[in-house]
This record gives sequence, structure tokens and C-alpha cells, in this order.
Amino acid sequence: MGLCRYLPTPSDRMGILWSLLAIGDSVIVEYGPAGTTHFSMSLFGELGVDQQNRLFTTHMSEDDVVMGDVSRLEKALVEVDHGYHPRVIFVVASSVSAVIGTDLQGVCAYMQEKVNARLIAFEQGGFRGDYSVGIQAAYRLLAQDVAEANVPRKAGTYNILGASAGFFRMESDVREIERLMQEAFGMELNACLCLDTSVEKIQQMGCAEINLVLREEAVPAARILTQKCGTPFLLGAPYGYAGTLAWLEKIGQQIGRVVSPALRAALKKRAMEVMQYRIYGMMLKVNKPQVALFGDAPMVTGMSSFMDELGFPVVAKISRHSLRLYEAAAPSVRYLPEEKDRIAAMQALHHTLVLADDISKRLLAKDNTFLRVSMPLVDGAQIATHLPFMGPRGADFILEAVEVYLETLR
Amino acid sequence: MDGKELIGRMKPLSQVESMKQVAPLTNAMFPGTHCPLMGAAMAVRGIRDSLIIIIGTDECAYYTKHMTLHSDDFGGLGGRCVSVVLDGHDVTFGCLKKVEAAFGEVMAEYHPQAVFLVTTCVVEIIGDDMDAAADALTERYGIPVMAVHTEHFKCENHLPGLERTITACFSLMDNLPCDGSVNLLGQRMGRFEDTELSGVLQRAGVKIGLQLPCGCTVADVKRAAAAKVNIVVNEIALPLAQKMQTNFDIPYVFFDRFSAPERIAACYAQLFQALELPLPAELAALEQQARDMQAKGTAALTGVTYIYGNTPFRTFEFNRFMVDMGMVPLVLQTSALTPEDAADKAAILAKCDPYVTKTANIAPLQYVYDVLHPMLYLGHEYANRLRQKGIALVRTDGASSMLGFEVTGYAVQALMTAAQEARALRKGGAD
Repeated sequence: MGLCRYLPTPSDRMGILWSLLAIGDSVIVEYGPAGTTHFSMSLFGELGVDQQNRLFTTHMSEDDVVMGDVSRLEKALVEVDHGYHPRVIFVVASSVSAVIGTDLQGVCAYMQEKVNARLIAFEQGGFRGDYSVGIQAAYRLLAQDVAEANVPRKAGTYNILGASAGFFRMESDVREIERLMQEAFGMELNACLCLDTSVEKIQQMGCAEINLVLREEAVPAARILTQKCGTPFLLGAPYGYAGTLAWLEKIGQQIGRVVSPALRAALKKRAMEVMQYRIYGMMLKVNKPQVALFGDAPMVTGMSSFMDELGFPVVAKISRHSLRLYEAAAPSVRYLPEEKDRIAAMQALHHTLVLADDISKRLLAKDNTFLRVSMPLVDGAQIATHLPFMGPRGADFILEAVEVYLETLR
Repeated sequence: MDGKELIGRMKPLSQVESMKQVAPLTNAMFPGTHCPLMGAAMAVRGIRDSLIIIIGTDECAYYTKHMTLHSDDFGGLGGRCVSVVLDGHDVTFGCLKKVEAAFGEVMAEYHPQAVFLVTTCVVEIIGDDMDAAADALTERYGIPVMAVHTEHFKCENHLPGLERTITACFSLMDNLPCDGSVNLLGQRMGRFEDTELSGVLQRAGVKIGLQLPCGCTVADVKRAAAAKVNIVVNEIALPLAQKMQTNFDIPYVFFDRFSAPERIAACYAQLFQALELPLPAELAALEQQARDMQAKGTAALTGVTYIYGNTPFRTFEFNRFMVDMGMVPLVLQTSALTPEDAADKAAILAKCDPYVTKTANIAPLQYVYDVLHPMLYLGHEYANRLRQKGIALVRTDGASSMLGFEVTGYAVQALMTAAQEARALRKGGAD
């Protein structure tokens, strides 16, 4: 990657940190220069994750870097264990400790007997890929090292895998999924990897009837849980009206439950109603409706399906992160590692409904219609937790932007 | 955590001679100090037609850019803070070619008058010679390119980043005949035009030259050696001032954000002596106002206990000022203890012997509050959390853009306001 003019794609380490910060009863100890931890505060605050008594740094001196001395990490682990009594301490490498090759797994292994908390090391220092790689590592290690085997099944419960504070409106989306699962099947959420959850809930993940996997990064974790606990999983997310119904029906098939007739009827009705949008493609003579999408790959794919429901072609599907973990990524979804390619893609759009991030907004010609659907935030803040993009409520919200957009076309 | 145990880890000030003897309250810190990369960005922010290229991890680049997003000085999202992000390949094989390529894009798109190549921790570990790269780029593109090294594992906080960035500006300066102006070196926040010192100088007919890093252009930096005197308002500018004294024979006056009126008066006297101008008459009135405020503060603040965190003031000078007003420090947090602090330290010790620890570790402090029960906290903390413990937060950030006797009045007022709040929180318990 050459010059980065705007915000770079967050690293694996950043994805790990914002995922782990969502887990109550745990503490993160970063082994690295303190400035990175302090600098991260504003981003994590923006993402809405609490850092008080949850995030600590050891700092590193030149002696630590040159001599490989880890005694300050050892002392910090004992201190945090003794002082805050967390169930788990996540020991996260920094770029510095990763480059000099500090053996964090080894430190955790010999320190485990000196502390009560479970020690789990993350040795990614920001060089193994972008946040897509980081969140995968976080989900996988949590499933592997924290979730317990032989947990009794609790009927009517499910887990969500693949949520994260780093995704725009994720909390709203999780609430919408909770609402849908309750309305469709009368089921309750157990653990959500990783949003507003706890060590205890993750330990009990094996109680669920099914794991709902919202993105491919969480598939390895889901497979571990299948092996460990026998829990089936479904990969996919509910976007659009028909898409939501199809998603619910797949869940129902997998767990032997039937979608509530009232919800099925409501979704079918809305799916029928939005078919009227197909007429705009025929009616409009000068500007045909078209859509461009930028953001997390699952959102891009899901929104694209919803646009299919409306009959709007999607002319650009650009992932914010690399797709190397996506075994089944649609070939039309692209990742543009060079920022200048992404700039060019956005600047080439005209008379398009662009669902993207605030950086894209700055690059667009004025004849486009923009709706923010992705991080990063540049303008304003994310406050609401009841404005999803998923489910029928998300589809309703998107349709409002569609209506604004259609008014700009001739 | 056990507050008493934490207190047991701190040394009293009387047992501390240097920073090496000052221990952090805990080994696991939150939030930790700022890093010199941030300091470098703060310095470049004020040099309007220059550009910063951060060479480091995605994370270093992300946070620094994030900091500049809402800065008009930087130009926001499309502004003059850009980066070259390193990956695993660069760590193994070096990043110089990547930097050179990115630099070409910068020159084509941004047309800066000067560029600061700011290296971060990883670049310093892998050992790419960014000084040589800066020299080569200077030669190739014909604009000043300066390498600034900001590895945090070699320093305590962000100030070295500021210091190194403004010291690097020395290479831009041309030897010029004196035009009688003064340069202002080291003001990090706010506008110099808004300070009392600026007003006093302007009314005395003194031409203001370079204002580094609080607001200047590259051309201003190039003309800086025409000054008659450099005013150094923070220690971060001392290395540059000393270089200018050695190379251009320009004297400097150290005029920090002092709070004690007699100290401020001495700065003014030294400054006008260096300028070979009479001391302005208005200063007597300003000094009297400051002394009156100090007396008012003494009446209102005697016996008020506090924990000192981080303020825009000089730690030991300001604490001496507060102790002289009868206030009682319980803990001093500091990131520096220099030989220049010796007199202030001795004056504090003549009246009390507070604990001393390192700054930027507020997480364990909450347990210390429960044992020491201070009335005030000076520095950056969560105000609501403090209020719940009967402690008032003293807000002094506004002093960042003040110089002169105005500092005394502002500081005393902030302390009195907070003390009043603390008393209200305790329902008169402080009396």
C-alpha cells in the first residue's frame, strides 16, 4: 500500500482490542509502549466500548526492548489479578513486542500458576492483516479457550457470532436480531461474540440450540463450538424483507422450529410491497437507479441482496477489509488495498445511491445520494442503538434513503 | 485494589532525587502517557504549510489521523496529515522504497513547503535510516524534508515529539541581519495573540517574529534568525533556542507559564533587559493584581488538600505556589524532576512532604482517593467519578493559552471555584 491520505484500514490488533473490550469480567493488558493505549482511547470511546478498569498498559522501556525483559508484564499480571479479580486476562501484544518476538504464550504459560484469572495471549501486533484477521482470531480463541464443553442444553437459546463494536450500527443490528428471534421462535440470546457480553456467557455458549454466524470470520469459532458442544451454526445475516424471512426459515429448518405465522405474513407483505420499486427502472428515462456499496463484506453482500429485492443494480461492491478469510465471497465484491483505487472508484460515481462511510462521502460528486452505513465515522457520532440495517426495521430505514434518492433522478 | 497498599508503594518527595526514583503507582497503567508521535503531530499542526508523514503501523497512523479529523489547522480529513503504513514485508525488508514512492504522491497532490517524516517505534527497531532518506528527498524535490524520531520506548511522554519537531526546524533557518523582533518558541496550545505577554510586547512596539509551534509558516521559520531575542515558553523549545544562540548569537529568555507573581515579574524584567527596552509601566499594575489575587487565594485555600495530576503549569513551581497559599498536597504526579526544580522542591518540603508518583495512571488512583480523601484533583480525570468521592476537579486547561500575570489570576480562581465545589460536596466539611 502506498500513501494513505485518510484513515488506514484498522489492523488485526485493533480488531482484537475492540472485540475483547466488549467482554465483561475480563481485563486486557497490553504489552507495549503506553502511548498506543492512550491514543486508542478516543477511538474506543467513539465505538462505545468501556475502557475503565478494563484496559491497561505495561509500557515498555528501551531496556525491555533491547534485553527482552518481561518482568514488568509479569508484575502487571499479578497486580491486575490481585487488584481487579477478572475471570480472564487477555494479554495483547503491541507492534513493538511482536517485532522483537516476545513469547507472550510462554509468559502466560508460566504465569498461569501465579494468578487466578485465566490468561489468554494474543500475539498479533498489527502485522498479520487488517481487523478482519483480528476479529477472527478473537472469536476463535474465545470459542477454543473460554467456551466450555459439556454445558447442558438450554432450550430456546442461541448465540450470535460475528458481531463487533467496530461495525457501524452493530448494537442496533444485534437488538433487531434479538427482536426477530423472540418474535419468530420465542428464543433468547445467550452470548454475543463480541458485543456487550461476559466471560460467563461465553463459557456457557454450549447451552445454545444454534449459533447464528453473521460473518465468515466467525466460522472457525462456530466450527470449534460444533466440535466441542455439538451446536449447529448458520452463516448469514437478515437484510431486506425477503432476505430476513429466508434467514429465519433456514434457522427454523435447522432447529426444528417454525417461524411465527404473524411475522412470516408481515415480512411477506413487505416483500411484496417493495416490488413496486422495480418500476422505477422502467419509468426513469435519464437516470436509471443504481447503487454503490462500501463497508464490511457481509453488509455489502446483504445490502446487495436487498437492492435485488428492489430491482436496483449494484454497480460497485467494495469491502472495507481484505477478503482473504472469505471462502465464499461473491466475486463481485472487491477489496481495493490501494487507497487511490478506492478514491477513483468513488469519484467515478454519478446519480448513484451510495451506501458507504464518511470518507466516501467526501469523495463523491454532488449528484449522488449518500447514506452512512459503515465505519469509520468522521462526522458526528453513533448514539442510537435502535436504528438497525438488518431485519425489516433496517430495510424500512434504507427505503427512506431510497425515496430521497429517487427524487434526484429524472 | 487496596489503597493503603498503593500508598505504601509511593515514596515521599523528600526521598526522591531524580525521576528514576519515582515509581509508577502500578505496573499496569491506564491510560498511560501520550506518545511522542502525538507530540510531533501537535507541533506540525501549527506550521501551516508543512505536512506530516507518519511512517508506522496502521494503528499509529489511524490514531494520529483520527486526532486531526476535526482540526481546522490540519485541514480535517483531507488535510496535511498522511501516512505510510508498514506491513510485515516492510518490517522484514525495510520501508524506504515505500516511503520514497509515497513521497512522490505527496508532492504531486499536496505541494507542501516542508515535510516532516515522523518515524514510530517499529521503524526505529528495524533501523531504516530515515535521516538519510530525508536528506535524499530534500535534494530530489528541493524542499526541506526533516526526519523526526518518535519511538516511545525511549522516553516518558509526548513532549520529546514536540521538542524534536521544533528542533528539526533549525535546519530551515537562514542567517539574517537582526530586525529587532522576538520569536516565541514552545507555545503548544492556543494563540499567542491572546496572551497577556503578546499584548505587553505589542504595546511596547516589539515586533513579533516566529511563533513556533503555535502558528507560523515555513517562511516564518526561515526568517527566524532575524530575531533579537527568543522567548522560550516551554522547555520543549530549549534545545532549539540553545542552537540558535550558539549559531546565530540570539539570546533567549525562559518565560514559562509560571504562576507566582514574583517569578513572572522576573521574566518580564529579563525579557525587556534583553530587548534593551524600558520595563513597561503597565506591568506594575498587572503584578499588583496578581498579588492581590494570590492574597485572596491564601485566605480561601489554606488547608485545602489536593492530589496533583497534570496541568499546563510547571509541576514543582505551581505546587510551590499552591503550598505557599497554604494548600496541602497529598500526592504529586510528575513526569519530570530536573535540577531546575530543586529550589521549588525544597520550598515544598519546608512545609510538607507529599507522596510522589508518575503521571497518567488514573485507574489505581481511585483507591488512593478512598484513603487520602483529597478535596481537589488537578488534572485530567473523570469528574463524575471524583464527585462521587467528594472531590472536585480543578479545570486549568484554559491556562494553556496564557502567559504572564494573567496565569496567577486564572489559576487562583480555578482553585477557589473547585474548593467551593468540594466544600459543597462535603457540606462544609472542609471548613
